[in-house]
Amino acid sequence: MIATFETDVRAPNIALDTILTIPEGKRLRTCIQCGTCAATCPYGEHMEYTPHRIISLLRRGRLEEVFRSDSLLHCVACYACMVKCPRGIRLSDVLLPLVKEQTLARRAELPMEFLRALQNTLRYGNPMGESSRKRAHWVPSAGVPVPILAQCQRAVDVLWFVECYTSYYPRGIDGSRATARLFHALGVDFAILGNEEKCAGDCGVVTWESGLFETLTDYHLEIFRRYQFRRIVTGDPHAYNAFCVRYPLYGFHYPVQHTHQFLAARIDALKPKLTRPLHLRVTYHDSCCLGRRGGSFDDPRRLLQAIPGVKLVEMAHHRENSLCCGGGGGGMWLDSWFKARGLERLSERRVREAVATGADVLAVSCPYEIFRFEDALKTLGYDRRMVVRDVAELLAEALGD
Amino acid sequence: MKPAPQDHVRIGFYVCHCGTNIAGVVDIEAVARYAATLPGVALARHYKYMCSDPGQELIIHDILEHKLNRVVVAACSPALHEPTFRQAIARAGLNPFLFQMVNIREHNAWVHEDRAAATRKARALARAAIQRVVHHRPLVIRQVPVLRDVLVVGGGIAGIHAALTLASGGVKVHLVEKEPTLGGHMAKFDKTFPTLDCAACVLTPKMAAVAAHPNITLWTWSEVAKVEGAVGNYRVTVRRKPRYVIVDLCTGCQECVDACVYREPKFSDAFNLGLGKRKPIYLPFPQAVPPVVIIDAETCIELKTGRCKKTCVEACGDRQAIDFHMKEEQIEINVGAIIIATGFRVFNPRRIPYYGYGHYPNVYHALEIERLLNAAGPTGGELVGRDGCRPQAVAIIHCVGSRDEYTHPWCSRVCCLYSLKLALLIRERTHAEVYNFYLDIRTPGKGMEEFFKTVQAEGVHFIRGKVADVYPDPSPEARGRLIVQAEDTLLGEVLKVPVDMVILSVGLEPHPDAENLRRLFNLSCSAEGWFLERHPKLAPVNTFTDGIFVAGCCQGPKDIPDTVAQAGAAAAEAYALINKGHVELEPNTAHVLDDCSGCKSCLPLCPYAAITYDEARGKVSILETLCKGCGTCVAACPSGSIVQHQFEDDAIFSELEGLLADA
Repeated sequence: MIATFETDVRAPNIALDTILTIPEGKRLRTCIQCGTCAATCPYGEHMEYTPHRIISLLRRGRLEEVFRSDSLLHCVACYACMVKCPRGIRLSDVLLPLVKEQTLARRAELPMEFLRALQNTLRYGNPMGESSRKRAHWVPSAGVPVPILAQCQRAVDVLWFVECYTSYYPRGIDGSRATARLFHALGVDFAILGNEEKCAGDCGVVTWESGLFETLTDYHLEIFRRYQFRRIVTGDPHAYNAFCVRYPLYGFHYPVQHTHQFLAARIDALKPKLTRPLHLRVTYHDSCCLGRRGGSFDDPRRLLQAIPGVKLVEMAHHRENSLCCGGGGGGMWLDSWFKARGLERLSERRVREAVATGADVLAVSCPYEIFRFEDALKTLGYDRRMVVRDVAELLAEALGD
Repeated sequence: MKPAPQDHVRIGFYVCHCGTNIAGVVDIEAVARYAATLPGVALARHYKYMCSDPGQELIIHDILEHKLNRVVVAACSPALHEPTFRQAIARAGLNPFLFQMVNIREHNAWVHEDRAAATRKARALARAAIQRVVHHRPLVIRQVPVLRDVLVVGGGIAGIHAALTLASGGVKVHLVEKEPTLGGHMAKFDKTFPTLDCAACVLTPKMAAVAAHPNITLWTWSEVAKVEGAVGNYRVTVRRKPRYVIVDLCTGCQECVDACVYREPKFSDAFNLGLGKRKPIYLPFPQAVPPVVIIDAETCIELKTGRCKKTCVEACGDRQAIDFHMKEEQIEINVGAIIIATGFRVFNPRRIPYYGYGHYPNVYHALEIERLLNAAGPTGGELVGRDGCRPQAVAIIHCVGSRDEYTHPWCSRVCCLYSLKLALLIRERTHAEVYNFYLDIRTPGKGMEEFFKTVQAEGVHFIRGKVADVYPDPSPEARGRLIVQAEDTLLGEVLKVPVDMVILSVGLEPHPDAENLRRLFNLSCSAEGWFLERHPKLAPVNTFTDGIFVAGCCQGPKDIPDTVAQAGAAAAEAYALINKGHVELEPNTAHVLDDCSGCKSCLPLCPYAAITYDEARGKVSILETLCKGCGTCVAACPSGSIVQHQFEDDAIFSELEGLLADA
């Protein structure tokens, strides 16, 4: 079910005016206007131009009118339309980014919060506008040594790409500390980039600011060249997506794993160390980039089930059919814009489903989700009934001493 | 290598334009001019359509007029017109094997764009054939007698119809069915579109006719295990699974079923797709043919432990039809032709998890609904959900596992119409609101569009949009209600329709046994896994294996009228073959020269067991009637003592030299 990337889909120089002449364009011509994209889109009912209407207009040579509408600002890059399209059209990978980029380029003004996030990312290497010199400040609080590549000056097995929210914000740092403890428990030979790390840029490419993305790609490829490591592991599905899908276009060639994939591959070594039972009902939210895009549904579930006492329950929408938290595609910085238009926050929609399972914990695999879901639980008054935890946090909690 | 006897060879070379099919890419005239310069070529011509009557007449005329003794035609694939030209040559009094055909259409014009390169290739191919044909010798077509019996594999409507057609023509038919009863999928349907005939009412008389027909031997609960031989003479081994009830002694009274130590039916009933229950001893369905019970070895206490009171045996009494010691049997059948009618499987909707099949109790696939609506089904014809609900609103989702790149890309052809039928039946019987979510309504065929109109007029809702999501209604009073989410693409609105039951119109896919059958019968499959017909238009029931025909959905999705028509066609083709009494075989057999050293390397390699070793002479010999001309022994013989007609070394080497020489 997961769309795979063909070489033509990956070509970095695809442009809207020539798209119909490339193989992916032939696929666009085969659209049967079934409406699956509109019906599965979390904001589909609020879009004037749904993906299939965009295809219709593209085929008629009338795409201009789409650029004048807000429709694509609703796209949260959740890949739902792409994995369900019966013609296998790579909507979220190819067409929608191009159309969104043009839409943004022609707007007189952009939502403030969104614009600031992009500017911060360019200037400081993180969307929050934190100082890049403080990126590794969390490290001493990890409780275990977290080597930094520039200091340790040796080849390592794993380059752990920490990412932004998990470097700066307390609830994100909780996840980083947990990951560091797990790596130590497993004896992983790892290091981080520390202050040299910036946002991997997936937010850039899927919010469809391709220039920003390329700046960050160039920067990281240069940094990666300086060090010796065998693979990249990251706890952020957006970085994972960028490294798997987009970076290879620019000459990147390292094996990449999400932390949960990395840990699941070592579950036999990890399991004996999970000695502290947690006695929790846990429901797992499939993040869009790791789940639908990356095809990794079982690894996080296997990890959760390895924790003694954990009972895993599923929400109505799970795996391929998971509901987006609303943070992708720039949605992370469009909450007030959506609110001003009277739209339901997708994180609240998701949290309602999670609460309906009766679970104590909403387990996640993406740093965005920690903030979005904790916020939504508070807004809806469910914050006493349910907590949000990264799978790594739960694993670390279950580690014996 | 022997020098070619070129002095007396007079070759006629003909190159075909095939309209613009070939001439559009290949410079035909240049090829003809070139061929005329080659040794042995008496004349070279080009013509618009060589296969046309005037084209053939041209060859015949030239043979007589110019005393040609070899002919080469460069045109389409020999699979299409080699017989045409051979016959034309024979009409001119020349042996038809003094001929060679060159494929410059499929192998050249249709796959190349560069005119100069394509023309160069055509010249090389022509030269290869011209150098080869010099070595051709006159050969005689072999005739092999044909057995008059026919094997039909599969006892659904296709197999039933083919068997009955042949049997009424006086042909002895063996019908093999792997289930315990005839009937296939059609027996599970409630009504049939567009006439709304009761499926059982039209099918069961034919099933009974099969059982009663003196010319049909019925092997139910049996499978083909081995196929040997070739067209006209197939040796088929049928594996007969033990049903633990002697077919000839059982009267179908079912007293044993009543007497079974299990008071209540407890086990999943396969005929009702697990929606109903049966006992370990059971009749698959009331009109089963043969009307004979069967014992399921997995659940019968006696067969599992040997410690049952055997109340069934007691109930059977003097009839003594129950035999717990029954063993699997192997039966050998000799037939002249085989009809494959092994049907299809419905798509497993679990593969599309967001429709909730197997997850929400009231999501069904269409075949299950046929059973629920059927008076003989598990609910006696009442539409009742797994949770006991009687639906007020029903969604029918079209194209589940059809027209979808992630599952099956093809249109399954029958789903639109059966969905219309189910919508109408549900509307008539329950007055529920029925919502059909469709991509396109496809109703080709006699009476089908009219049927669509009838269903529309009955008040069934039609929403043009593919369903993207099925999930439980989150509202507190929902009680198992599901939300079906789709865009009404004609209105441009996303709809969330609350329903009590969801029916998935699942597509048709190749039977899981198809791959195994393909190997058994040496058939070809399309990329999707359907059995491949020899030609989609002109040989729709023939396969690439002579004497084996296909009918029904094993060849591709089709409705009952098309299936029956195809089964009739397959029966007619089989009848034509066996009624002639013999088959003509290509004379491309292998024969052994005196140099044979008797090493026996070839013996185990022959797939047709055509080679025997003569102890006295210390040499092998090949039985021409069994040889199929595959060439395996020729290639394997270490001393080069096995030679194959039409593929002698000198012909092949000359052909290669011709192909590789610079044009």
